Amino acid sequence: MTIEEQIRQNSIRRPHHIALITPGEQVTYAQLWERCLLAATQVRQKYGLQKGDRIILAASAHANFIYTYFGIHLAGGICVPIDPDTNETRFNLILQSTKPVCTMGILHKVTGTKTVPLCEVSAPCDSVDPYEQASPEQIADILFTTGTTGAPKGVALNHRNLAAAALNINTFIQNTEEDVELLALPVSHSFGLGRMRCVLSKGGSLVLLGSFASMKKFYGQMEQYHCTGFGMVPAGWSYIKKMSGRKIGQYAHQLRYIEIGSSFMSIEDKELLCELLPGTRICMHYGLTEASRSAFMEFHAQHNQLNSAGKASPNVQVRIFDEAGKELPFGTEGEVCVKGEHVTCGYWNEDTVKFAKDFYNGYFRTGDSGYLDEEGYIHLKSRIKEMINVGGKKVSPMEVEDMLNAIPGIEESACVAMPDPEGVMGELVKAFIVCKDENLTDAAIIEALKPNLEVYKLPAVIERIDRIPKTASGKVQRLTLK
Amino acid sequence: MDILEKVIEIVAAACDVEKSEVSENSMVGDFPAWDSMGHLSILSGVEEAFDISFEPEEMMEMEDVKDIVAAVGAKLAQ
Repeated sequence: MTIEEQIRQNSIRRPHHIALITPGEQVTYAQLWERCLLAATQVRQKYGLQKGDRIILAASAHANFIYTYFGIHLAGGICVPIDPDTNETRFNLILQSTKPVCTMGILHKVTGTKTVPLCEVSAPCDSVDPYEQASPEQIADILFTTGTTGAPKGVALNHRNLAAAALNINTFIQNTEEDVELLALPVSHSFGLGRMRCVLSKGGSLVLLGSFASMKKFYGQMEQYHCTGFGMVPAGWSYIKKMSGRKIGQYAHQLRYIEIGSSFMSIEDKELLCELLPGTRICMHYGLTEASRSAFMEFHAQHNQLNSAGKASPNVQVRIFDEAGKELPFGTEGEVCVKGEHVTCGYWNEDTVKFAKDFYNGYFRTGDSGYLDEEGYIHLKSRIKEMINVGGKKVSPMEVEDMLNAIPGIEESACVAMPDPEGVMGELVKAFIVCKDENLTDAAIIEALKPNLEVYKLPAVIERIDRIPKTASGKVQRLTLK
Repeated sequence: MDILEKVIEIVAAACDVEKSEVSENSMVGDFPAWDSMGHLSILSGVEEAFDISFEPEEMMEMEDVKDIVAAVGAKLAQ
């Protein structure tokens, strides 16, 4: 059953139950469904969307985004949610790849592209098109990840993938229709979008906060709406802790759950959360856009395994394979591979032969290295892919290197992750450069990068070296620079 | 350079905007880069520039340029 069908059923079962809480309005399930149908009609009639067409959607945590997102699905279209801060280069690559009928929402860093304001999409119209449930195989979303080559890669997720992921997550976290979730995560990424789908498919209420930036608002809304849960990445917890100390503990009585995203979190931080929230299900996931929340662990119930990445999520199987595609026994390190209906149906514009290489015996290759212990806990050893995780946002070293290499005076470069000395962002970008021009300062390099890179992708440290280490075949050996 | 001017300079640099775009009333969320990461970078920049350090409860109260200027003033007066 698609997520949209579940929302429709919620609107019949509990039409007056609150689905969305926004700064200006509380939207019931009946209203939510009506506005999604309206958006579906508008994207068809006004913007000419036909089945399988794409629409790029600048994703922000506003009610109009939610109506439009589900409206595109209801009209048979494919959503391409992107960060409103997407830079021009990335946007143009996504545009060329998806050839959308239009772009909707506000883009802060893209000029020269006309976008449709989201308020127009859910504007009233004369008649509403009838509802038709999408096929489970129909592609619903394309999420562009930061590919290892630097070029964004479109992960296609069909309606079956989205519904399966939501079911697995809701089963593990034990969400109910009485939950009220404070949504502060960006909805342009898999985690935030996933939380939105989980809550609305279950029939709970979603408070649209949009960001953790204002801690006053975060606690204000938590109190006002008696929120029972929220999602955050480890960098979000570092921020909450730095900005408000132990205050979250004052809400221990009402917080039933927290979902935490997959990136490094220290044992001290995990222990502190357990101490402050002794009765809350604190669920940390392991996953990737291609296989959302493949594993989970709950800090209290699995307290003796806080160092692990948890066990396979409900309805998911995890195995370890070697480079030859042979399954490995417990305790032996290899590539972590996952199987389940939540696993991507393919990469956009990539042929099935190439996509098949991402699997070992039906198990999707995550690109992460680790082992399984005898109880089924996953122990990650390293990321085979060399992404840099800045405060939960993924940075491709190659994207930054391409921009560095284009600066006159820089011969070549290599970027790696470095720990954030303040312990807040988790990782920061460190750039190694081979520089011919002695007068080229770090400040000048950063200035030259700024028009092409988002702020979090800018190197925090630039180190000059004589040569970039490479393999015999010329591949940059970033790991040796770490 | 007075406190307001310095804070505006720090905010403008962190948010990658012109100083003229930042005022006493500019607040978290006003510029795309003034998100949680940007806010932290502003507060650490302010701590470094004035050689002070804020407690979590003080940080939570700082959401606009005016709040930050007042908090710096109070710290420097201690």
